[in-house]
Amino acid sequence: MGSRGDPRRPATPLLPVLLAALLPVLAVLAAGTAEARATSETQPSSASAMGTGTPPSPSGTAFEETRLHVFTLDYPHVQIPFEITLWILLASLAKIGFHLYHKLPSIVPESCLLILVGLLLGGIIFGAEEKSPPVMNSDVFFLYLLPPIVLDAGYFMPTRLFFENFGTIFWYAVVGTLWNAIGIGISLYGICQISAFGLTDITLLQNLLFGSLISAVDPVAVLAVFENIHVNEQLYILVFGESLLNDAITVVLYNLFKSFCQMRTIKVIDIFAGIANFFIVGIGGVLIGILLGFVAAFTTRFTHKIRVIEPLFVFLYSYLSYITAEMFHLSGIMAITACAMTMNKYVEENVSQKSYTTIKYFMKMLSSVSETLIFIFMGVSTVGKNHEWNWAFVSFTLLFCLIWRALGVFVLTQIINVFRTIPLTFKDQFIIAYGGLRGAICFSLVFLLPPTVFPRKKLFITAVIVVIFFTVFIQGITIRPLVEFLDVKRSNKKQPAVSEEIYNRFFDHVKTGIEDVCGHWGHNFWRDKFKKFDNKYLRRLLIRENQPKSSIVSLYKKLEIKHAIEMAESGMISKVPSSVSLSEYHEGKIKPLSPTEMENMREILTKNLYQIRHRTMSYNRHSLAADANEKQAKEILIRRRHSLRESLRKTNSLSRERPAPVNTKRFLSLPKNTKLPEKLRVRNKTSSRVGDSSDSEMDAATTVLNLRPRAGKILRDQRPRQQRPPPEFQVEWKNEVDGSQDGQGEQQEPSTLPQPSIGFRQPLLTRPRFGTLSREDLTADHGSARPVPPPRLVRQASQGERQRNKPENEPY
Amino acid sequence: MGSAHSVPAEMRELADRTGFTSEQIEHLHRRFKQLSRDQLTIRKENFDSIPDLEFNPIRAKIVHAFFDKRNLRPESDGLADEINFEDFLTIMSYFRPIEMNMDEEQLDRFRKEKLKFLFHMYDSDHDGKITLQEYRNVVEELLSGNPHLEKESARSIADGAMMEAASICVGQMGPDQVYEGITFEDFLKMWQGIDIETKMHVRFLNMETIAHCY
Repeated sequence: MGSRGDPRRPATPLLPVLLAALLPVLAVLAAGTAEARATSETQPSSASAMGTGTPPSPSGTAFEETRLHVFTLDYPHVQIPFEITLWILLASLAKIGFHLYHKLPSIVPESCLLILVGLLLGGIIFGAEEKSPPVMNSDVFFLYLLPPIVLDAGYFMPTRLFFENFGTIFWYAVVGTLWNAIGIGISLYGICQISAFGLTDITLLQNLLFGSLISAVDPVAVLAVFENIHVNEQLYILVFGESLLNDAITVVLYNLFKSFCQMRTIKVIDIFAGIANFFIVGIGGVLIGILLGFVAAFTTRFTHKIRVIEPLFVFLYSYLSYITAEMFHLSGIMAITACAMTMNKYVEENVSQKSYTTIKYFMKMLSSVSETLIFIFMGVSTVGKNHEWNWAFVSFTLLFCLIWRALGVFVLTQIINVFRTIPLTFKDQFIIAYGGLRGAICFSLVFLLPPTVFPRKKLFITAVIVVIFFTVFIQGITIRPLVEFLDVKRSNKKQPAVSEEIYNRFFDHVKTGIEDVCGHWGHNFWRDKFKKFDNKYLRRLLIRENQPKSSIVSLYKKLEIKHAIEMAESGMISKVPSSVSLSEYHEGKIKPLSPTEMENMREILTKNLYQIRHRTMSYNRHSLAADANEKQAKEILIRRRHSLRESLRKTNSLSRERPAPVNTKRFLSLPKNTKLPEKLRVRNKTSSRVGDSSDSEMDAATTVLNLRPRAGKILRDQRPRQQRPPPEFQVEWKNEVDGSQDGQGEQQEPSTLPQPSIGFRQPLLTRPRFGTLSREDLTADHGSARPVPPPRLVRQASQGERQRNKPENEPY
Repeated sequence: MGSAHSVPAEMRELADRTGFTSEQIEHLHRRFKQLSRDQLTIRKENFDSIPDLEFNPIRAKIVHAFFDKRNLRPESDGLADEINFEDFLTIMSYFRPIEMNMDEEQLDRFRKEKLKFLFHMYDSDHDGKITLQEYRNVVEELLSGNPHLEKESARSIADGAMMEAASICVGQMGPDQVYEGITFEDFLKMWQGIDIETKMHVRFLNMETIAHCY
């Protein structure tokens, strides 16, 4: 703990300092801009000169001469972008600040802290300006801040889980939201009838409108809390999916009641129109999303010539779907979610690895910033004079929100449990009810209310803010201990295992097969059907074929896997070489696979096992899966070391005729044995492996093959040089690897090495070749994602020659 | 095609034994009739008539499982040539979802039964062990859907998985130790983290027999 705590200690006090330094700046700026604006309006000519220090131009003359200013300050010119940048900067810095102290995010959700910062800022601005700080503009929220978050959520949505639970999610989202809206609205109307509270002027429709906007569970708030507590995936997708889908119903209800409030008379036809409206809003949004998703996928089919702008299309099309849906007053959230989910699979296959990484990072970054800004703005906007406090209304709103949510979940679950194969337990229901956090959506909706129609708008605002703060703060903070206390099944965060992946796939097929046998159209059946349709038409249309990228990638991964296995056989490189004492090397030795290797294998499995069943990891906003580049770099490093080890071992086995185990049940020996079953001798195995790994790579194969016949000749030429002294040989090795471990290995080598092996190997590994190779490796390590087979392959080639020629060389 | 109603008593017995409701049994029986072309037993060839199964990469394993006597009744081994409706139901009952009112012990048994079924699918030579060769066959079959992937990598994956299994089940092995294959106990160990009882099920509810059979 001490070692961990030390580097943090100096950093922790930085947080308040940082914030303290930044707060006044922003506050003064915000205050200053208002003044600046005011002054610039009254005397626009001198505004630019104000406070600049340039001498004022001589006034009084009729025609003013303009002089060149040495230094000018034109704040109004840059005001808007400047302030936006500052806000984003502040938000990001605040985020950094919270994570400096590592325990804080685990106790208090980040959203709470951000709101607190917002409140503080709002207070300062309010104090400095003596009027309400700029309220978060609803347009800004709906058009700019919300889409990135939803896009991110949709793009990384665990699709399979989502569709498996689609019925339940839909049920909660539609019926649950209706239930909440109407329940809260009517019961609040009941409260308003009590004249002692002074609320009698609020009509039933206004109450219903209020109920509809307060009943929307907010995806932003839910994500912020749930992604940190790691409940089991099913529970997570239920709450999260509900919060995404209920947007459609919220938008409809909100618009419906708002227009009802403005209407004089309401006819029955209006109500039916409202119901029809719901379907149009929801389905229309989804259709727009799916359509643009396919267009996006289709576009990326042709971007391979201009890789640089590839990532842009993902963002443009999804944003386009959002604003198109908004334009028609359809559900933008549904549209962008559908769009992201549709394009995701195809885009991933079309774009290059780098573009894919860019998309991922950019999406995470945007959503993270948006989320931070939303919470800060919510805090800032809270402070101000637009409040009206009424104990009865506020506390009853809160009470009804909680009660109707709990009741709704309970009743709806009883109904849906009949249809679910795995019913939801009582604990699950409790967490679903408790996870119904309200957030920025209701906040923005309530600010959108026209004050002329709603004289008590301020009261509504206050009530909404209280509900949001209660849910985000009290429920957000207590949900983690509650989950622990109730012992809710968590998502298992154990080491990913290859066998698990295999089992899961196997499983899918078994289930689909059984469904086919009993002729039942279940989830699995539809998934399979869609997969076939997808393979037959969609993929052909949307994915560029004969793409060189994918073959190289898969090839590279293949190599990686092979290596991982070879490495695991020979003992991990992380072990000190001397401990894996080479003379005692046994084939049956087992080492656990390292996480990196595990990842590689998993990757191949997920990529290749029956394409459609692509399983996404459970969603997390702030972390990305380990980057492919890093992995590659690591792999290259490992590979380089490994090839060294390999050659060491080989020379060793040369000196020591060891019989190879022939038992097929010794699985560890098998990878080698079966690759070249006719040759069972140890030293031949290596050569067979060389052939194997290279046959997957066309160019490599040819080089190896070409080299082989020549090898004998080369060796014969080199034979006179056999008597080279060992010291020089050591220098050769150092050229390639500089690790101390390898140094140890080297030192071991000369003693065990028989002379002949030095003789014919040495010339093949000539100095210049090594130089270039290692340089290439280095550049690759610095982040180039290009698969770098050369070092290994050349190495293999030389090994191959060596191996092949050993028999002839032995007599010498 | 719902003409073939069983005798109620017989039906009840079947329901007791397999845990299906009588409605589900009726549905399954209709399907059975369809597959067997109104015969009393199903043979392997009958499964060829299911078009959807054709593309399943492990279809051979699935069909095989139906005729595996180990799955049909305890303490027996070998392959059956044909199965009757009761056997068919027995196989299907491996895919029943858990019920809410099950206690710990029942759950455990339920889980073991399901795993045993899977284990038998892997263990094709009936020796109680999943050897590397068997494992490889499974992975190769799984990957056979993708023509671009070579057998080599399937092998490597199987090898890696086997190694993993060995490290999970045996721990650090001595230098001379040989891991011969995954026994059922090891298999149980490896599945510990995966809640199979919530995953391995097919919905038999509201089953509609479809005319996808020719």
